[in-house]
Amino acid sequence: MSAKPVLDKVRDVVNEVDFNRFRFWFQLVAFVLFVYGGYLAIDLGSKLPFFSCGYNREGRAGVCYLLPLQHQLGRPLAMLFSMASLAILTGFLTFVLWFIVLNKGWCGFVCPLGTLQDWISALRRRMGIRFSNYTQGQFAQLTKIKFVLLALMILIPLGVGGGIFSRDMSPPFCLICPARMILPMFTGDFSQFTVDFSSKTAIFMTALGISITALFLVGSFVKKRFFCFFCPMSALHYLISKPALLKLKKDGSKCTRCGDCYAVCDMEIKEIADDVKTTDIMTDDCTLCLKCVASCPESGALKATFAGIPIFVSTEAGFIKRMNKGCQHGK
Amino acid sequence: MKDLARYCLGGMLALLLIGNVTAQTGLDEHSAHASSDVVRPRPPENATPEERRAFYQKRAAERVKAGGGGDPVAALARTAPGNATLDTAPVKRTQDKSTPAKPEEPARASGRPAGMGMAMRGGGPLWLSDSPPSRGDGAARGGMGGMMGMGGMAMGGERGGAPSKRLWLRAGSDPQKSGFAREDGEAINETLIVRPQGPIEGEALPPPVDGKKNLLFDMPVQGYYRVYASSRKLQGEVLNVSVAKAEISNFGHGGDEEERAQALVAPRVLESAPIEIVREKAPDEKTFFQLKSGDEQAFVVLQKGLPLQGARVRFVSHEGWSKEAVSDEQGRVNFQIIRDYFPPWDDFKKRFKASYLVIAEANAAEQGMFKDMPYSSVRYQTTLSGNYYPSPNDYRSYAWGLGIGLLIVLFCGTAVYLYRRRRLKPFREVRFDER
Ligand code: SF4
Ligand code: SF4
Ligand code: SF4
Repeated sequence: MSAKPVLDKVRDVVNEVDFNRFRFWFQLVAFVLFVYGGYLAIDLGSKLPFFSCGYNREGRAGVCYLLPLQHQLGRPLAMLFSMASLAILTGFLTFVLWFIVLNKGWCGFVCPLGTLQDWISALRRRMGIRFSNYTQGQFAQLTKIKFVLLALMILIPLGVGGGIFSRDMSPPFCLICPARMILPMFTGDFSQFTVDFSSKTAIFMTALGISITALFLVGSFVKKRFFCFFCPMSALHYLISKPALLKLKKDGSKCTRCGDCYAVCDMEIKEIADDVKTTDIMTDDCTLCLKCVASCPESGALKATFAGIPIFVSTEAGFIKRMNKGCQHGK
Repeated sequence: MKDLARYCLGGMLALLLIGNVTAQTGLDEHSAHASSDVVRPRPPENATPEERRAFYQKRAAERVKAGGGGDPVAALARTAPGNATLDTAPVKRTQDKSTPAKPEEPARASGRPAGMGMAMRGGGPLWLSDSPPSRGDGAARGGMGGMMGMGGMAMGGERGGAPSKRLWLRAGSDPQKSGFAREDGEAINETLIVRPQGPIEGEALPPPVDGKKNLLFDMPVQGYYRVYASSRKLQGEVLNVSVAKAEISNFGHGGDEEERAQALVAPRVLESAPIEIVREKAPDEKTFFQLKSGDEQAFVVLQKGLPLQGARVRFVSHEGWSKEAVSDEQGRVNFQIIRDYFPPWDDFKKRFKASYLVIAEANAAEQGMFKDMPYSSVRYQTTLSGNYYPSPNDYRSYAWGLGIGLLIVLFCGTAVYLYRRRRLKPFREVRFDER
């Protein structure tokens, strides 16, 4: 038997995989690894491109990059422009190296907070409650928020370092990040669920953090991937996504604009169905979950490539197989 | 839901912006507080290290001349005389290992605890502090390396260089009120530093040169730096041996991990020390550990690296409350760090750095010669100081956290439910007249 048919066979198996199940297990393993890996002394550093929350002191297997970034930017300005700037640069480069491997796939497959939102959505589905959508107008407005949060996340620490803001504002995004409260709870640490009464700023920031966490819980129950829409990590990803290895590609000539991909997209990205010109179709909101590829009935219309090599391609056979297995699209 | 989400998020952003404003108010408070600490002149921002040193020397000399600002001699004179014995010292002596020192204990009656009977220089025990006498106000200061048990990276170094640390040798048994230790020509003094990757028997640390009072050293690698300032002096037939010890933790985020791992398992005992106190680390203690009010802390008294049973050990808190215990067969004593920081709530600082002082003493019937004079017994005394901070339990509230969380979940949940119900179109029957 020559190598070619074997390769084709492998391709067929991959393309016809029960994608939702594969993703569920992948996410589960990643969740356990990053929320409990610390107990096995796993430490993947502090430059991870997703929310492996640093506040989960016992269980974390690595730390989300936003935490050291905010700390580094919050140093006194004199320090910032000396040795520390070198540390910021090397830190950022390490983060970029991690990031380019999976691109936004870190969100779709690895981020514990993203996974948690998927589980909350699954719970809602099982309870038979419908989900909500934004209108196109709302979508266009809300999608900007993550960039605003990213800007604030960089500017506020600089202000803290420069003495303009109180130290109780630092690290600003972590103080309002739902992961800070939710992920440590999985290891039995509820200490983040407190209001800090030591200063007015601290009261405000901790109360705001708790409010946003509460909003997160309700929001992700009625809206798929509610938080990812506003996530500054996602904004940062998008800004540096050009050299990434994992890519989402579209061949517009094969697309019939049936809208299946749009229907399954948790992030409600309309371009995935409507845009038949762009080949590099990943948008700023995309989490590279690849559900669109799995749901596309047109062979070769959508595909995921790694360093230019197609690794998961939409096929008619795969589509039919998955439909028959009862993919619960759009539910 | 769509509108709701939009409004909630709009609100979120608005809140964030308001947050900035509130933070600025917070800042005003902060700077007001800081300024009280900064009334003394400071060297110019861009001064070189040499200029800074010269500046501080000049300032110190002026202060000594003026006789103000925590006059060390006056402070010493106020301290109980060196011969107060344990029986007369008004501190409760007990073996009970974890009861906190109570404010009503009589120790406070004298304004500060009396010396434990073997004060070396009439000024109380010698100890190494990370703040000079006039500054022992507990305000959190950036740019200082942590005394043992204090988290945070030591950043006292010159810009861009290795962090450095200053220690002051002080005399007295009250962390806030004890003054500078006086020079004593009759004593033999020696200062050793044990660096994380240096020889385990330590290296000599040069004494402060004229005009300066502090011991200064660099901390180029991560780990625990231990300084031992020992002194020996004959008083009658008794040889007084005193070891003031400080342990400084220097760890940085993102520093070399191997270096850190090595530092964490390295021994923290000086085998040649005639007596020393070691703060016992909890098995799960992290590098950025901070001792908090309310915590239990064990200390071990060692003589030449071996546990010393029966040593009298006293813990003195920032405000001067004290508590005494006797070391067990493993040389251990246990104290609960009391909460003694009660400012008006508006002045409360959660990063308030309080100092504690642990003093251990033991007598031994050892004979020998010191400077050609015989002695018939030895009094050993050792001190260790460190920092502790307000406990989060003092300023964090679960009840409020949970309350706010539940309220918002209920509110948003109900809002979504009602919004969805309102948008349900009631079923309307359409009838056709088929005739
Ligand atoms: S709070 Fe959020 S941003 Fe901060 S470390 Fe945790 S996951 Fe990252
Ligand atoms: S966008 Fe979502 S999945 Fe990605 S890092 Fe943010 S929370 Fe995690
Ligand atoms: S566009 Fe595709 S890969 Fe991106 S979020 Fe939507 S379904 Fe997932």
